[in-house]
Amino acid sequence: MSTETRQNEIVRQQEPRGNIPREARESLAFVDNVTMKFNKVVALRNVSFKVGYNEVVGLLGDNGAGKSTLIKVLNGFHQPTAGQIYLDGRPVNFKSPRDSRDAGIETAYQDLALVDLMTITRNFFLGRELQRRVGPFKFLDMPRMNEIAAKSMAEVGLRNIREMYETVSFLSGGERQAIAIGRATFFGAKLLILDEPTAAISVAETEWVLRLVAEAKQNGLSVIMITHNAYEVFDVADRFVVLQQGENYADLKREETNAKELIEIIAGRK
Amino acid sequence: MIGQIPKPLQGVARMKEIGALAGVLIVMAAFTIMSDRFLTPGNMVSVFTVTSELGIIAVGVCFLMISGEFDLSVGSVFAISPMLGATIAAAGAPLWVGLLAGLAVAAAIGFVNGQLVLRTGVPSFIITLGGMMFYRGVILAVSGGFPVSYLQPSEFMHYLGGRTAMGLRWSGIWFIVLVIVFQIILARTRYGNHVSAVGGNAGTAKAVGIDVARVKMTNFMLCSMTAALAGFMRFGRFRSVDPTAGRLMELEAIAACVIGGALLTGGYGSIVGAFLGAFLMGVMRSGLILAGPPPYWYQGFIGLVLVISVILNTRIRKAVAGS
Repeated sequence: MSTETRQNEIVRQQEPRGNIPREARESLAFVDNVTMKFNKVVALRNVSFKVGYNEVVGLLGDNGAGKSTLIKVLNGFHQPTAGQIYLDGRPVNFKSPRDSRDAGIETAYQDLALVDLMTITRNFFLGRELQRRVGPFKFLDMPRMNEIAAKSMAEVGLRNIREMYETVSFLSGGERQAIAIGRATFFGAKLLILDEPTAAISVAETEWVLRLVAEAKQNGLSVIMITHNAYEVFDVADRFVVLQQGENYADLKREETNAKELIEIIAGRK
Repeated sequence: MIGQIPKPLQGVARMKEIGALAGVLIVMAAFTIMSDRFLTPGNMVSVFTVTSELGIIAVGVCFLMISGEFDLSVGSVFAISPMLGATIAAAGAPLWVGLLAGLAVAAAIGFVNGQLVLRTGVPSFIITLGGMMFYRGVILAVSGGFPVSYLQPSEFMHYLGGRTAMGLRWSGIWFIVLVIVFQIILARTRYGNHVSAVGGNAGTAKAVGIDVARVKMTNFMLCSMTAALAGFMRFGRFRSVDPTAGRLMELEAIAACVIGGALLTGGYGSIVGAFLGAFLMGVMRSGLILAGPPPYWYQGFIGLVLVISVILNTRIRKAVAGS
C-alpha cells in the first residue's frame, strides 16, 4: 500500500463524529484528554498536550512522570485507554508506529533509534527501503540509498564518516541523533520527536544536536524534545510542558519562565 | 576499530564469511598433505553430498538465527516429514503428495514453534528443545522404531537425491540453489533487511514499523520447511527413512552457522557462511577418515574448530562491526 493510500485510510477510518476541539484545529498535533493504563497502573491521567506548527516543545518531567508514555501514545506505539489524538486538525487512530511514521511523525528513541550491527545506509532507510524492479522481483536499490544517505549525512554535518557501509555501532551519541534528524528531514516529516537527545553525549555534541533542532525548525518542522535537563533545551524550545506523576503540571512559554524556575517546577517545589 | 586493519584488507575483513573461508582452506590444505586420496574429484563429490543435507538445514537455521531465534527441532523435522511422506507414498499415493504433506507438517511445526515463542515469551531455545524431544518421541512411537522404505523406481525420487552429472547428487544442486536464493533475500531485499533488523534490535524494528512477529513467524516456518526438504533429500538418496535420522543435526547446523560468522544473539550472519561452515564439517569428517586417525576423533575436532572459529569471528566482527 502506498504511503498516501495508507494515510487516507487512517484518516477515513476516523471521520469526525463530534466537534473537533479548537486546539486540534490550530495545532499540528493535539493529544486530547488521554488516559493510558497498563493493567492497573495509570501511566497518564487525562493528559492534554499540543504542538503548534513550526514550534519546538520541551517535554519535561522527572523519571516516571509519563513523558515517554505520552510520546508513545502520540506515535502509535501504544494505543490510549481513553482520549483522542489529532494531527493537522483531524482525528487519527494510529495502530502502530508505522502509521504515525507514514503520517509524518518521526521518533528518535534514546535506545531504539538505530540497529547497531547495520550500516548507516540501512538504518537510514529501515522500514522505507528504496527498491528497483528486476523482472518479477524487487531488490534493494543500494547505490541510490548510499548516495542519498551520504548526501543527507553531509547536510547534518556528519563529515567524518568514511564509508556508508560502516555499522553504526562505532558512532557517538551525537552522531546517532544526527542520523535520526537527517532521516526525518529527508523523509519530509512534519513532527520530529527526540527522546532524551542530549543524554550521555559530550558538551560539543549537545550544541551540535541543538543546532540541528534549530535548523529543523527553520526548515518548517515541529520538534518535541523529551528531557529532564531544562538548561540544555531552554534556548531552543519555544514552550515547555511539564508532566508530573502522569498528569499535566505546567505549560509555559519561554518568555514566561527561566531554566531555574523550570527545574523547581520539575522537582515539584513550585 | 576498523582503522587498525590495513586499508587493502578492510574490505576482506568485512566479509562475514572470511573466518569460515580461511578455515575451509587451511583444513583442506592439511588433509591434502596427509592423504593423497583426499583432494580427488570423487572424494570431493561425496563430501559435498553429505554437506548438502546438513547444509540445507543450516540455511534455514541461519536465516532464523539472524532474526534472533533458534530452532532445535529441525533434526526431528528432518525425520518426521519424509517419514510421513514415505508412508503416504507407500500407501499408493503419488510421491509429490507425500512431499507436500511432509512440507505442510513442517510448516505447521514451525508455526507452532513460533506461536509458542511469541505468545509465551519463553526463549525459542527452550520451546524448540521441547519440540525436538516431543516430535522425536512421536516418530519413534508411531513407527515402532522401524524405517519406512519406498523402493519403486521413481523419477521424482531421482530429483530429490539421485545422481546427476559427474557423480553429483541433485541434493547438491538444490543446496546451491537455496544458498544463492536465501543469500540474495538476506542481503539484497527489503525482507532480508527486516530480518537483520528484527534480530539486531527488535525494539528499533518495531519503532520503525516493522511487523516483528510476522518476520519471526515466517522464518520459523521457513526454517522448519528447509529441514523437511533436507530430510526428503536424504530419503531420495537412501530410499528409506530411519526414525533416528537427523539426531544431532540441529546442533551441527547451529555449529555450521556460527563457524560461518552468524551471531548467536541474532542480527548478524551469512547464508554463504553457513554453506562454508557445513562444508568445513563435511571436509573434516571425510578427511579424518582418509588421514588415518580413528574417525571417532571427528566430534572432538569439530568441537575444537567450532570454538576456535567463534573466537576468531568474534574478534574480526568487533573490529569491523563493533559490539
